[in-house]
Amino acid sequence: MRAARALLAELFPFVAALAVWQALSAANVWPRVLFPPPLEVAQTFAADLASGVLLVNLGVSLKSLLLGFAVGCAVAVPLGYLMGLSRASRNFFDPLVNLLQAIPGLAWIPFAILWFGLGQGAVTFIIVMSVFFPVLHNLLTGIRMVQPVLIEAVRTLGANRGDVIRHVIFPATLPNLMTGIRLGIAFGFRSLVGGEMIASTDGLGYAIFNAQQYFQSARIVVGMLTIGIVWLAMDRLILRPIEQRTTMRWGLVREGLEQA
Amino acid sequence: MTDLLVARNVSKTYFDTVANDNVVALDDISLAIRPHQFVSVIGPSGCGKSTFLRLVAGLDRPTAGEIVVSGRKVTGPGADRGMVFQEYALLPWKTTAANIEFGPRLKKLPKDEREAITRRFVELVGLKGFENKYPHQLSGGMRQRAAVARVLANNPTVLLMDEPFAAVDAMTRQRLQEELTAITTQERTTVLFITHAIDEAVFLSDRVVALSGRPGRIVADLAIELPRPRRWDALVNDTRFAAYRDELTRCIHGNKA
Repeated sequence: MRAARALLAELFPFVAALAVWQALSAANVWPRVLFPPPLEVAQTFAADLASGVLLVNLGVSLKSLLLGFAVGCAVAVPLGYLMGLSRASRNFFDPLVNLLQAIPGLAWIPFAILWFGLGQGAVTFIIVMSVFFPVLHNLLTGIRMVQPVLIEAVRTLGANRGDVIRHVIFPATLPNLMTGIRLGIAFGFRSLVGGEMIASTDGLGYAIFNAQQYFQSARIVVGMLTIGIVWLAMDRLILRPIEQRTTMRWGLVREGLEQA
Repeated sequence: MTDLLVARNVSKTYFDTVANDNVVALDDISLAIRPHQFVSVIGPSGCGKSTFLRLVAGLDRPTAGEIVVSGRKVTGPGADRGMVFQEYALLPWKTTAANIEFGPRLKKLPKDEREAITRRFVELVGLKGFENKYPHQLSGGMRQRAAVARVLANNPTVLLMDEPFAAVDAMTRQRLQEELTAITTQERTTVLFITHAIDEAVFLSDRVVALSGRPGRIVADLAIELPRPRRWDALVNDTRFAAYRDELTRCIHGNKA
């Protein structure tokens, strides 16, 4: 009963948005090609799902996104801890990182195509460049925010440098790392769609772009909604449970500030 | 009896980046503490009393002089000098029990021994039933009890405390002070306690060392001969307690200028 209620509360905002969308479509203010109605989008969604096109595109895009995200994090996370914990490496890398981080991932498209050719290799490279900086930047902020008194306390309990990193720095930086990961994935999605529109011939971004060429506006919406649903699933099934088990449980992060 | 902790001609000068000048925080402090003594260092804010404690902990280095604990010169922090901080400094990601178990775990004691130690100190500070709570779920007083237990569970040579009760309310503070004297008397812990509250120092200590305002110099070194265990309801109207408090007040304020 309570679970059913929670599900209803969860679905309500989507139902409300759908109702507004339907009402606006029914008012017939704009032609269908400019503002496709929910039913047409649902039919297209079902058709693309049945034909397998949608899942193939989704699979291609998810592979690029996850690979790009993994590579980006695999470089950014160790580099972040290295820069945060060693002045020499910070002094060396900080100017380079600052120079590069203002350059959008999409600006790498020309080189990505030259180096990897048209296709998902180029897209993955762009995603790596997009994921890398938000993860690194947030991790560095997290390291700067570690309370010195926690480090001092464990050192008077006999902790060496490795113990401090493992028992203080890692858990203390987790909230910021999670923020970095969220931003990294969000930036990754932007680059995925942008990259596939220009540098690829498959994937969700390409499908959106291609649908526009044929005025299949419902199919554009299907592509957009699929990205939204995939992100929502990642957030609810992976990121939130991690946070609920760690940073929220430790009292480092709250749901909100209703009492304010 | 041989001294457990010896400070020899300890001075600390640091560079104040705001004032753009060298500041002498501590000037030629010499002090010897015997085992099982509860020693408080008091003084006005900025007198360097916390600086002195940090030097003993090994968190900072003296500019001149040396500190020796159990015959070994202090060169850095160590488990023999566990410290309790005003801001508790519990690890938010560890439960009460895991925080208390932390020192024994670093020492790689066997699991059953660690658990026995944890159980003992959880009970000693009255946190039974709160073992699996995280620090943010505890009150200020409970957090400080956990922080004391965390250091005691590590069996330090000397327990260092830096104004540990300054952040809790007055009623909780008195209860924590009574619990601390009961525990340290029972465990025969050597304690070096920093506070700016004269009555707190007299209540807890076998000996109170008073520092002058900056630069900190020792202006009084007073043995407190009140019977133990000590309780506030018994001492609050005690004439000897009042006499110690008045004498220390005179020493500190007489040397303020």
